Amino acid sequence: MSKVEGVSKVESVSKVKGLQTFPGNRIIWHALIVGVVWLLLLLLNNNIDPLYSSYLALIAMYATAMFGMTILVGLSGQVSLGNGALMAVGGYVFALTSMNWETVPIFGWQWNAIWSMVFAGLGGVLVGGVVGGLAARLKGPYLAGLTLGLAVGVPAITNRFPELLGGENGLMLTVPYPDGGYAAAGAAASLDPGAEGELESTTDPGGDQNGELGTDDQFAELDLSEFDQETDPDAGLATEDLLTEEDFGSGDQLADGDLLTEEDFGSGDQLGLDGTDIGTDIGTDAGTDIGADLNVDSDSLLDGFDSGFIIERWQASMAIAVACIVAFAALNLVRGRQGRVWKAVRDDPIAAAVVGISPSGSKVSAFVVSSLFAALAGAVFAQILSFIGPGAFGLGLSLSLLVGIVLGGRASLLGAILGAILLVWLPELVDGLAGERGWPEQITNNAPNLLYGLLVVAVVLAAPGGVTGTIRSWVDKARGKARSPLS
Amino acid sequence: MTNFIDYLLGGFSNGAVIALMALALVLVWRSTRMVNFAQVGQAMFTTYIALTVQQSTGNWVLALVVALLAGSILGVVVFFLVIRPVKNSDTTGAIIATFGVLIALQAGAGMIWGGDPEGFVPPVDNAGLEIGGRIWPVSLYDLLVLAVTAVLVIGLTLLFTKTSLGLSMRASAFNPEVARLSGVRVNRMLITGWAIAGATGAIGGVLIAPFSTISPNSFDILLVFAFTAAVIGGLDSLIGAVTFGIGTGLVISLVSGYSDSGNAPIVALVLLALNLLLKPDGVFGHHGSRSV
Repeated sequence: MSKVEGVSKVESVSKVKGLQTFPGNRIIWHALIVGVVWLLLLLLNNNIDPLYSSYLALIAMYATAMFGMTILVGLSGQVSLGNGALMAVGGYVFALTSMNWETVPIFGWQWNAIWSMVFAGLGGVLVGGVVGGLAARLKGPYLAGLTLGLAVGVPAITNRFPELLGGENGLMLTVPYPDGGYAAAGAAASLDPGAEGELESTTDPGGDQNGELGTDDQFAELDLSEFDQETDPDAGLATEDLLTEEDFGSGDQLADGDLLTEEDFGSGDQLGLDGTDIGTDIGTDAGTDIGADLNVDSDSLLDGFDSGFIIERWQASMAIAVACIVAFAALNLVRGRQGRVWKAVRDDPIAAAVVGISPSGSKVSAFVVSSLFAALAGAVFAQILSFIGPGAFGLGLSLSLLVGIVLGGRASLLGAILGAILLVWLPELVDGLAGERGWPEQITNNAPNLLYGLLVVAVVLAAPGGVTGTIRSWVDKARGKARSPLS
Repeated sequence: MTNFIDYLLGGFSNGAVIALMALALVLVWRSTRMVNFAQVGQAMFTTYIALTVQQSTGNWVLALVVALLAGSILGVVVFFLVIRPVKNSDTTGAIIATFGVLIALQAGAGMIWGGDPEGFVPPVDNAGLEIGGRIWPVSLYDLLVLAVTAVLVIGLTLLFTKTSLGLSMRASAFNPEVARLSGVRVNRMLITGWAIAGATGAIGGVLIAPFSTISPNSFDILLVFAFTAAVIGGLDSLIGAVTFGIGTGLVISLVSGYSDSGNAPIVALVLLALNLLLKPDGVFGHHGSRSV
């Protein structure tokens, strides 16, 4: 009896091993894993409150970007703060293509969000290739410093092209929703201050971002004339001051919760709704009072959407789709030959060169892949926010990606997912606690970042592998194997 | 042409502050071979302390001294709590840890002092001086900044060249093992390096605050400028940091004058990228200090 069991066990093990060693089958294996996870997530998304769907969308977005960080920081060993900037590249390309080319079909395919995503990805690859080419010549602190400059320089670059990129205002973008979403698109396009060039860079939606987008009733009253009148009080300050923080528009408004942009934007879902709300408001010139419940409003106000359309769910399913596709690509890269190449160069570039691996080629490829993922995440982020501007994509975003990946586990894709969950969940937890205990806003806004900073230091010192690395080393210890936490 | 001279003159005091921050980065690099990305975070924090002192006592000199002390203490604390425990092999971790410190310091400052930008009143007039019937882009305060910077730089130079402490510090930076064999307490030298770097950065922070406002994130851009200056200077050269710190200040002033101050970060980025491409060891750096 026991003998028979033993035989069947051996057979099944060899079957699994055969699956894993043959590369074609490994891809099928990975596709299966990702597919199941995707289905589960979609099920989850359809059965939770829309509020949680919006968290899900943000988690998927962060995870998409952080899969790239896993490869870049964890496997390739390059500390980059430029991924927030690369997300901005993706977001801006998405915004520009979806706004300007929405009527241009490609190969007979009508323009839709997928085309914009493709172009966002291409933009990320291009910029990532250039930066990566520079980066491959650098190591450690030099690379971190250069990419830090990139992250800080994003607002400056958007200010350089106010007509095209909307300056510090950023761009309100029209998300090409399915099911006749373009009906609202035409109306919202006329709202966009940057494209019209009417408002130049004197208005400051950075202020709207925090102040007005948060409160729904104020927003209902907003119309174009208000946009016109609202001039940025800081605009005159563009003097030869060295510290041009104020000049960077939303920089100062965002200062309190700078690391985590999720907080600043309220929940992304609100923004998404608000963006479209303005669209309809102005398009129909309704000026009707939007009541308390956002969901009801969006349903009643947005023509072209059927009543079952819940925008948070749509955003979440879109973000999940991108995250799953990226996860599939990342799984194959990380667990395949390329993953070993990256690790080899990280651990000993000279030894890697001796066995015929090009260290700089490996570094550039890691950079390009992570840029692609970052750009796709940026495009998703832009869709969730219905907005793209320098304030949301500054140094804070890059730092939060770094925090997430370090806490979750630097060298593991699962760690990226855990980090993404942490980035979204911790501020909510602090918010909840603050509400219960009645903490002042000053404490609440900064508590998540303080925790992140301290946790990052603690993790680097005590558990360099992050959550996943530590758990794995426990498991290995229990099995009697020793392994580096970063392997 | 008068514009050009005005812009150039206007850049010196900013350049001097960038030079101080770059010096702080270089001092840390020389003692522990790493870039302390939390340096401006530490400076921001001590500047807030100085602001509090100044607001309650009205005494700028006292504020400066308090910032100096707080800066050196903070430097030592960061060294002991964060830098020394990081494993030598984990260079990636060391860089990440300094960013962790930066994040924590910024959030801590936000908690204590709030996120709104605050003004720092300069001890002397910050309006352009009028000499010979024309207003120059140099104020009394600019002159004070330059004077303090000059005293500090001369003091540091004397420390490193004329004192036995400076000699020991140079020895332990140059070759820790040989220095240890010759009886230099290398560990103590590292601590001293971090303390001096912290104090230098703190003074830079207090000096630059009146030019603009201070908020938890307002020094981020200064980090980029200082890093640019330090790297172009070679990262381990004090004279390089000072030269290119002032140089960066001048370039920024010219760029801001002729185009827009918002373009300064782009120019810094381009300078940094060009330098890293063409002369990765920096202008004053020792060749061969980096490999692969």
